Amino acid sequence: MPEHRDGRAVSKGAASPEAAAWKGPTYYGRSQLKPSPFNAWVVGGYIFLAGLSGASAVVSTVAEAVQGERGASIGRKGRYLSMLAPLVGAPLLILDLHTPTRFYNMWRIVKRTSPMSLGTWILTAFIGGAGVAVVAQLGVDLLGLKWLKRIARLGSAPAAITGAGISTYTAALLAATSAPYWAADEKGLGVRFASSSIAAGSAALALGEKSRSTRRTLNAITGIALLTELVATAVHHKNVKAKGVGASLESEWAHIEEAAVLGLGVLLPLGLYVASRRLGDRKRAGAVSDLASLAVMAGSAMLRVSTIRIGQDSASRPEVSLRFSQPENLPKKRRA
Amino acid sequence: MEIHPFARAREYPDSVFHDVIPNESELTGGVTIEPGKQYGFFTDTTVCIGCKSCEVACKEWNNLPADDIGLTGQSYDNTGALSANTWRHVNFIEKKQALADDTAERPARGVRDNDQNAFQSGWLMMSDVCKHCHHAPCMESCPTGALFKTEFDTVVVQQDICNGCGYCVSACPFGVVALNPLDGKAHKCTLCYDRLKGGLEPACAKACPTESIQFGELSDLWERAATRVEDLHARGVTSAYTYGTPDAPGATGDMKYLNSFFLLTDRPEAYNLPAAPTRPSNRVAPAFAAGLSTIAGLALAAAVLFAGAKTTRD
Ligand code: SF4
Repeated sequence: MPEHRDGRAVSKGAASPEAAAWKGPTYYGRSQLKPSPFNAWVVGGYIFLAGLSGASAVVSTVAEAVQGERGASIGRKGRYLSMLAPLVGAPLLILDLHTPTRFYNMWRIVKRTSPMSLGTWILTAFIGGAGVAVVAQLGVDLLGLKWLKRIARLGSAPAAITGAGISTYTAALLAATSAPYWAADEKGLGVRFASSSIAAGSAALALGEKSRSTRRTLNAITGIALLTELVATAVHHKNVKAKGVGASLESEWAHIEEAAVLGLGVLLPLGLYVASRRLGDRKRAGAVSDLASLAVMAGSAMLRVSTIRIGQDSASRPEVSLRFSQPENLPKKRRA
Repeated sequence: MEIHPFARAREYPDSVFHDVIPNESELTGGVTIEPGKQYGFFTDTTVCIGCKSCEVACKEWNNLPADDIGLTGQSYDNTGALSANTWRHVNFIEKKQALADDTAERPARGVRDNDQNAFQSGWLMMSDVCKHCHHAPCMESCPTGALFKTEFDTVVVQQDICNGCGYCVSACPFGVVALNPLDGKAHKCTLCYDRLKGGLEPACAKACPTESIQFGELSDLWERAATRVEDLHARGVTSAYTYGTPDAPGATGDMKYLNSFFLLTDRPEAYNLPAAPTRPSNRVAPAFAAGLSTIAGLALAAAVLFAGAKTTRD
């Protein structure tokens, strides 16, 4: 910043990056940004379903690859669950457009600077792989065509690879904007969305699972993913505060995030998993595990909805948005 | 979608503007408009008198309706902000104190004291507009290619392609582009793309009576701005600086320069401009990498757990 500007230090907070919100002049309390016009429930719902579908494809494909025929029942479930993104998620995306009749323009170009464009193509590829797999699976299940099993499994491999993409690109989608809360720590958001996706995908696979050992394995995977999410959340929040966006963590939706994502979605299921392992009664252990699965999924959905709302809030408040765009937040390598 | 009859005046795609003076911009702006060159705006806020000619000229030329008919109670600014229907917006900042002893703690808004510097009576006015950024974040985020760089190095939304996803709105670091709920498309300043094609300078620049808004070739405008800053410094206005020229505030975080740039005399925030915006697309790769490596790690953990799982099927 040029020294001659007005002779003052650039910002009171310049010395300590932990400094709170912007206290300098604002233009009649208006933010310089416009909040994203996304409908948080619709787009959040899509991000959740894409995460669940993509991650269940990843986890179930890994199960089949490692366990072979023994993992076939998880593989089958994964193939059906992967249909949530195309059948429910994609229509939600179209619903959120303000000119939905032109949804097909998403396929006009490929643009690597736009996660929304990249995501369109990853989702398209996912629908291809997962679609082949699920059609083959339907052939096996409804028509008894055993030879289709191979094809179902073959389709799952590309679905798993692109599934990793659809369950994570949504973090890049939010991070590659100017909304302070989304932009403050793109890596933290990436890890949070990815771990929450795996947790939701694996929890969905465990839902109603009869085999005790399979259920336990899936619950262990969910547990590890939840612990990853727990740590990632703490790191993300810390980094967000360090960028001066801490005020957005005091908003109403930040409290909802705390209760619904951390409480309901992470801590409660972790407790339930421990309880379910200890229960001797098989029926009740299964019910407790199912309850945990539902809580994980609800938490995963709320992570996306609350992240969108907190981001929109951060873009609407000048004390946050003007603070975030201070020079000390510039990427290090670009600093003069 | 049914378009509200009052959303926009009817369009006449075949309309012809008769009797255009060839290369009129040479007469009004001293610049020849040729495809392949870079054009932009230099908005010198020190000579802005807040007449809003630019706002009116923009609305008239582009046939844009008013946003809200009402009072904001914010000085002479009843426009409020740039929007889908407002592509030039004049800020009015009534500073309480003289420039030099204004402190960061005291918000520069509202009440005026009587101990003003002679300079602009402590009143700042700035005509804000789309910055037509070099690495335009709106364009980089647009998934349909509706937003594109024109042959004049300006950024325009193609209305026949935009599907109203609204992603550009959150990408813009300056809160410029917006959706019109009535037609479901994103709108913003086109730097008068149609006029440039016809050899006319943008409507706002032509209408500006004080030359606060100057249209021209970018390199030329940069030179003019540098000279103006020097001149102002020599005359005692040491607070003058450019915003959005290479290496200046506004052109930060990989945003090399802004085709619409400004000459300011107070910190950027006073004009509701971010001091150091960044290029959002630089966050794409790190976010992807973090997410995908987390998935890979957890998939590996899953593989280990599945491999170790007991074979019993109970
Ligand atoms: S100021 Fe905003 S709308 Fe204008 S070119 Fe830059 S990013 Fe796009």
